[in-house]
Amino acid sequence: MARTLTFKIFRYNPTKDNDEPHIETYELEETPRLNIFTALHRIREKQASDLMYDFVCRAGICGSCAMMINGRPTLACRTLTADLTDTIELYPLPFFKLLGDLSVDTGVWFHDMAKRVESWIHTQKEFDPTAVEERMDNDTANKIYESERCIECGCCVAACATAQVYPDFLGAAGLNRIGRFMFDPRDQRGEQEWFELVSTDVGVFGCIGMMACDDVCPKDLPLLEVFSYIRRKMNSGVQVAVKDLELS
Amino acid sequence: MTGIDTELYPKAETRHSQKSSAFKNAKKALRDERISGLTGAFLAFFILGHLVLESSILVSAKLYEDVAYFMEHTVPMAQPLIFIVTIVFFIHFVWAGRKIPGKLRERKMMLELGKKLKASKKGWQQDPKSDIKLRKHFETSMWITQVRTGMIVLATGAFHLFLVMWNIFTDMGVAGQVVGLTEEVATARVASGLWILYGVLMLNVVAHMAIGVYRLIVKWFADTWFVRNYAKALFYFLFWFYTILGTATVIAMAGPLEGILS
Ligand code: HEM
Ligand code: SF4
Ligand code: SF4
Ligand code: FES
Repeated sequence: MARTLTFKIFRYNPTKDNDEPHIETYELEETPRLNIFTALHRIREKQASDLMYDFVCRAGICGSCAMMINGRPTLACRTLTADLTDTIELYPLPFFKLLGDLSVDTGVWFHDMAKRVESWIHTQKEFDPTAVEERMDNDTANKIYESERCIECGCCVAACATAQVYPDFLGAAGLNRIGRFMFDPRDQRGEQEWFELVSTDVGVFGCIGMMACDDVCPKDLPLLEVFSYIRRKMNSGVQVAVKDLELS
Repeated sequence: MTGIDTELYPKAETRHSQKSSAFKNAKKALRDERISGLTGAFLAFFILGHLVLESSILVSAKLYEDVAYFMEHTVPMAQPLIFIVTIVFFIHFVWAGRKIPGKLRERKMMLELGKKLKASKKGWQQDPKSDIKLRKHFETSMWITQVRTGMIVLATGAFHLFLVMWNIFTDMGVAGQVVGLTEEVATARVASGLWILYGVLMLNVVAHMAIGVYRLIVKWFADTWFVRNYAKALFYFLFWFYTILGTATVIAMAGPLEGILS
């Protein structure tokens, strides 16, 4: 039995004069294995040619299609309508800058975050393109890989109450990125540098452990595990850092 | 937000000077987190023991008095512990409460947003017939519950602590004739109408403590064998076990069970 789905979609185009935020309703026949992304395409084809939303990969890889689907931040391309109620409510992600309708700008925030955590391997070693790659043990490689899988969709930040209150908070994606480089033996940043970056109220101690990020991450990143690792590292690392200071 | 610059992969820089302000801030943040977490953990352990010992009244008045005698005279730890708990209680309130201004700031932000929306006449409301509740998340609600219960515990708990401290100098030997806490004293206190206060304190402390323990474990040990699911199971156990035990104890002291008890 095909259902008729009712979509209630947030509409607002900030570039248009005297447009007002409002909810518009669309109806659509459900087809087998229909996902939100395809549904939005169909609505745009037949009913609302000016509907704005983002997508690139359609396969949960690029992270551009994140939106609030029935109150939960998640990826439109990975959400099947079969898993949802007859009425489906779509809102843009909060926190990020609204571009229009369901489209938000996550790029500026993630770029800024990457710069703040200096999201690259810090090393003084000259790169030798002819040398054999250094070996890394499997556990370390796996840990790095798990954190590296983040697709920068922004769901974790949209879900985090702390991030809504403290706009400077690094957020789950930012803390996860820090973990990724802390795991990496090639990164030569020392205890004190990590300590100054992470042990702050906009860093790991800003997080009050409400776990929403972990619950919504569409890629199932082990966020809470990474945060625990960072917290304990900060807790034990500080002695080392203090000693470093006293020696220098 | 800072501007975007295009220089990719700059060299690692050593920016930390000795005793830089960044380092001091980082040390302060760590110290604050340790204080609120450790005082919370201490109070939680205390409550775990305290409520079990109080519940000895469910077995018999005699056992209750034996326990009280043991804690006050054999060990004697009850009296110093009251002072320690009271001090830790207030330290915890100040340090754990440091996260609450966030709440106030949030309110302020919401208020400002609301005002702006109103001024621009661009407000809208969620359809009251909506199938969904926007952004309801269990563990996030838990934290808000913790803030609220914390406030109630502050009021009722402070009263309880002062009453008990006062009693050290009266009922408990210095000024009065009765030496030590007796079942009679405790029951009289609770039965005299204070059971409402004790009930409220107990329920709020238990909820606050169980949530706190859950969050503490997840914050510090989620990557060990003590995974989140175990921590959550522990939360449910602590919450229900102590709620039932505490409720029974308060009822027993308030009176309805008198007569059934020896
Ligand atoms: C004076 C009254 C109290 C107030 C105002 C209060 C307030 C708070 C607040 C706001 C938090 C959250 C802190 C954060 O998220 O960083 C918290 C955490 C906590 N509280 Fe309390 N609390 C009080 C009494 C107690 C008592 C009596 C106990 C013991 C049963 C307790 C145990 C805990 C625990 C274990 C935590 C978790 C600590 C953490 O996550 O770092 N609190 N408290
Ligand atoms: S655990 Fe909670 S406070 Fe911490 S980053 Fe995740 S959602 Fe935010
Ligand atoms: S951590 Fe998860 S939710 Fe957050 S941006 Fe990365 S993939 Fe998205
Ligand atoms: S379109 Fe790329 S993640 Fe959904």
